Amino acid sequence: MLTFILRRVGLAISVILATLVATFVVFFAGPSDPAQSLCPENRCNAERLQAIRVNLGLDRPLTVQFVEYFKGLFVGRDFEFAGATNHCGAPCLGFSYHTGRSVNDELFSRFPNTVVLALMAAVIFLIVGVTIGIVAAVRRGTATDRILIGGSQVFGAIPYYILALLFALYMVTFWRVLPQYSSFSEGPGVYFAGMIAPAFILGLVTSTSYTRYTRNSMIETLSMDYVRTARSKGISERRVLVNHGLRAAMGPIVTILGLDIAALLTGTLITEKIFEVDGIGRRALQALFDDDLPVIMGTVLMAAVIVVLANLIVDIGYSFIDPRVRLA
Amino acid sequence: MLADEIEDEQLESEAQRAKDAKNADSRTGRSPGRVAYDRLKKDKVAVICLVIIVFFILLAVFAPLVVNLQSVDPTTGVRADVGTVHTELIDFNGLPTVGMSSAHWLGVEPRLGRDLFARFAFGARPSLIIGFSAAAASTIIGVSLGLIGGYLGGWVDKTITWLIDFFLSLPLLLVVLAVVPIVQLRIAGGGRLTAEQTSTIRFWVLITILVIFGWMGLARLVRGEVKSLREREFVQAARAIGVPTRQILFKEILPNLVGPIIVSASIAVPTYISFEATLSYLGAGLVEPTASWGRTIADAQNYFEIYPLWLWPSVIGLSVLVLALTLLGDSIRDAFDPTSRR
Repeated sequence: MLTFILRRVGLAISVILATLVATFVVFFAGPSDPAQSLCPENRCNAERLQAIRVNLGLDRPLTVQFVEYFKGLFVGRDFEFAGATNHCGAPCLGFSYHTGRSVNDELFSRFPNTVVLALMAAVIFLIVGVTIGIVAAVRRGTATDRILIGGSQVFGAIPYYILALLFALYMVTFWRVLPQYSSFSEGPGVYFAGMIAPAFILGLVTSTSYTRYTRNSMIETLSMDYVRTARSKGISERRVLVNHGLRAAMGPIVTILGLDIAALLTGTLITEKIFEVDGIGRRALQALFDDDLPVIMGTVLMAAVIVVLANLIVDIGYSFIDPRVRLA
Repeated sequence: MLADEIEDEQLESEAQRAKDAKNADSRTGRSPGRVAYDRLKKDKVAVICLVIIVFFILLAVFAPLVVNLQSVDPTTGVRADVGTVHTELIDFNGLPTVGMSSAHWLGVEPRLGRDLFARFAFGARPSLIIGFSAAAASTIIGVSLGLIGGYLGGWVDKTITWLIDFFLSLPLLLVVLAVVPIVQLRIAGGGRLTAEQTSTIRFWVLITILVIFGWMGLARLVRGEVKSLREREFVQAARAIGVPTRQILFKEILPNLVGPIIVSASIAVPTYISFEATLSYLGAGLVEPTASWGRTIADAQNYFEIYPLWLWPSVIGLSVLVLALTLLGDSIRDAFDPTSRR
């Protein structure tokens, strides 16, 4: 067991390190010039551009930059801006080229918005997906089953961003059925009301895959002998479904939930962009547009760490439930 | 009452299973591909989806001819085509002065006055080309790496498995969004290229990147299958009589994997089309002047209230095409799955 955990942790660390090196090389060695995007050529002469590069530390060799960045992640580092020294504690992701704020601040101030969106969506897709899945499993083969499963198949097949975009354009902008996003500082009531539209569409579309998982999982458990035993003992159908059927069927669903974190992150990125929610995904898109390298690096690293951690927890958790996994 | 229904259901499914087993006996001698094909032919959803897909393929292939069916525009005096800008059809607010007519079946584009039906018909091309070629390429790469890793084992297998884990844990959309402009600059930066050349380069850059980030699922599946197949008697027998490795891989092992490979490739096509459209919407996809549905949706969303005709054809085209491809993929999966009841 211990060797399995150590091996999985080692693998996770190697993947994160590789992500760090790969993103650093791709972005910092890439042909994009942050100085240019900070100050376009028609406004800055060559000297001024060079001064910006020196200021950002972009004139030094790539390896030196990487070592500093790497060191900053674990022990923090000091930045010098126009004479003043700015300390950036570990894990230091640097300072945004555009806003001058530390990347940690930039990301952590927006992190709650992304988490609220993802959690609200998760509540919706778990409730909707699992409920529809159970109903379809119980009524297997009937018209209800076919309509529910067919509907979720159609809904899940259309590109997500189109559904979200149409929903935003018509329900929020045009008919104003649901309120627009507004920041938390304008009051929690307005804030959560504004989150309904993005969380609803993200949750609804994500629920389609959970409908199918739940249905398949429930059909499997409902055909088990112990379910028949439970029924023959005269336990009410509702208790058979919830206590005997659903409880066993939830195992695979929770696993998939853990492995789906990456997909959920992608979903929030598109949703934040479409509904203008001020989360990490929208900040990352803005950073890409601005060539704001430290922010891009920070978001990519953060997302990779979240995905790797989620997979690690699922793997290790699963190996406790099902020891056969350890041999794989 | 519910319990009764379920019991009936169980009885019914047992009867079904018995019938299936009897049919399976009479089916001996047919390859799994043949069985799947026969089941697919009977699947109404699959047939309808196929008709829709063929319609879009024909529209894409014969786009120039179909666009020429529109009559000559009385204002401009010429037949509309895909790229020509007609500012004379635009008023000072940027809105078109002509609506749907025999010269412009779907009206003209705000601001530029290009024919919207032509943009729609030609827009089917990049989606289909990207979907099918990226799926083909990533299938080849996935199958090759899976075969090599699963069969050779050892450090080769470890490396490939690690690569799969690595690529799967990258925040895909974010990385692709960032990498597309960088690769584009590397290839096309500095030089004086026309808009058409830039657009073509972007097109191939997109396909390449979609493939680089899309082979892992199939590779993992094939690797797992190969690992178990190589221990089977027929493979060991082949090895014992000295059949060369390449022949074992392609003649003994690969034919057993045709089903999963076809299923995975058919599901990959709509995934790539949808991913490309998402990239176009987020600003890292196809660029002008290539007519593209994803690009059009991104441009037209600001005009959706005053000129919905610009937005909707692309929305419907993209949704229906991806939907048909996905449902066909699902049907193909069911057809290859011996446990499904359809």
